[in-house]
Amino acid sequence: MVKEKATGLAGYTVRDWVYVAVFGALWGAAELTLGSYLHVIFPPLADTFVIGLIMAGLGGIIVLVGRQFVPRVGAAFMMGIITALLKTLSLGGIKIGPIVAILAESLLIEVALLLARRPARWNFVLAGSLAVSWNFFHKFIMMRLLFGKGIETVYVKMVKDGSNVLHVDVRYGLLIIVLLFLVRIAVGALAGWLAWDLGGAVRRRLSQET
Amino acid sequence: MTRRPIRWLGPGSYLVFLVWVLFLIALLPDERIVPLLIAVLAFGLLNGGQGLSPLRKVRFWTLILSIVAISPWILGEADLTWGWLRLSRAGFEMGLWMALRAVCLSLAFSVSAGALSTSEIIRLFEGVGLKGLGFSLGVALNLLSTLGGTIEAAYHTIRLRGGFRRPCLALRLFLVTVIANALRYGDDVVRAASARGFDPAVQRRETSLFRRADGVFALGLLGLTGVLLLWPW
Repeated sequence: MVKEKATGLAGYTVRDWVYVAVFGALWGAAELTLGSYLHVIFPPLADTFVIGLIMAGLGGIIVLVGRQFVPRVGAAFMMGIITALLKTLSLGGIKIGPIVAILAESLLIEVALLLARRPARWNFVLAGSLAVSWNFFHKFIMMRLLFGKGIETVYVKMVKDGSNVLHVDVRYGLLIIVLLFLVRIAVGALAGWLAWDLGGAVRRRLSQET
Repeated sequence: MTRRPIRWLGPGSYLVFLVWVLFLIALLPDERIVPLLIAVLAFGLLNGGQGLSPLRKVRFWTLILSIVAISPWILGEADLTWGWLRLSRAGFEMGLWMALRAVCLSLAFSVSAGALSTSEIIRLFEGVGLKGLGFSLGVALNLLSTLGGTIEAAYHTIRLRGGFRRPCLALRLFLVTVIANALRYGDDVVRAASARGFDPAVQRRETSLFRRADGVFALGLLGLTGVLLLWPW
């Protein structure tokens, strides 16, 4: 067994930093390949809902599995920082939207796991839900920041888009908004649940070989 | 051969500039976005102009012009009839300001992030006490190509064994294999780093985040903030 030195940030070892790099790179690779591919497949109007939801769910799974292997405060956010920096290498150029989303999601996972203290399946479910729910608020914040648009404009647009996706009449605006939010919560919860299982499976695979 | 411009500012100043633009975009009324955009363009040009490369991309202009083109239809009350089209002047105006904000922020981001090389980002982390994070970034960058190979090998192995007849199981197997292989590679990196006595806690001496020019630059930004926010335009 390699002897490791405890370093910097709350006693991180070299192994911890390397694992942060591994999971950051995994999420970064997913963003650079699958993320770019999905942007080509789906029309721009569906970006935040379809692509954002898929990538947020996948990112949530990777970071939560990573957090099982680096059970230290700040690890999830560090993975997010690495992913965000790798995302700046994207062939499509530097885009602020996905970078803000990556950082916000990893920060929300970090906060949820920090509050929960002990790693457990339901804490992962909560962290996943919280992280993917960012996808809902992302549009409001980015529209305000990028375009100076008010909350009402985004709301109206979201209702219209949601009405098309969910096949619900525009008159039920509030229902559409609640449904759109619940879809994100559900996807995040599923990501957290799967991440817990996946982390266990990876651990078993690695222990079988040693 | 491309000539690299002389850098007067330290890496920290580029991040300060980005935060400054974000802060002002959130705070400034529409009509004051134009001087901010001029400031961003000027800073981009002073840095060699590479950060202004989005201006040469068709995709960038397609996005910006589509904002201007679509807004008269979807924003504001329609007060103009042009053939069978019903447009809104207020919507057009809103679209124009939205597009300006988008140009301003995209350029500021491109100028700041484009000016920093990976090694500078790593040094920047070291400078603010996040030494391990700089090391992590270096490992992650080198890992990307290896991961590509690992992902490809796992995909083809599962496909050739007929794993994709059961897609859910195959996806799970794929993810477990990719993560386990990446972690195994990570263990090799840990061994190599330990064998060389590598310690991310040891800081390089040449790390200097702020120089005198950075201080002058920060003061300049502060003065410009006052002008943009308080000057009676």
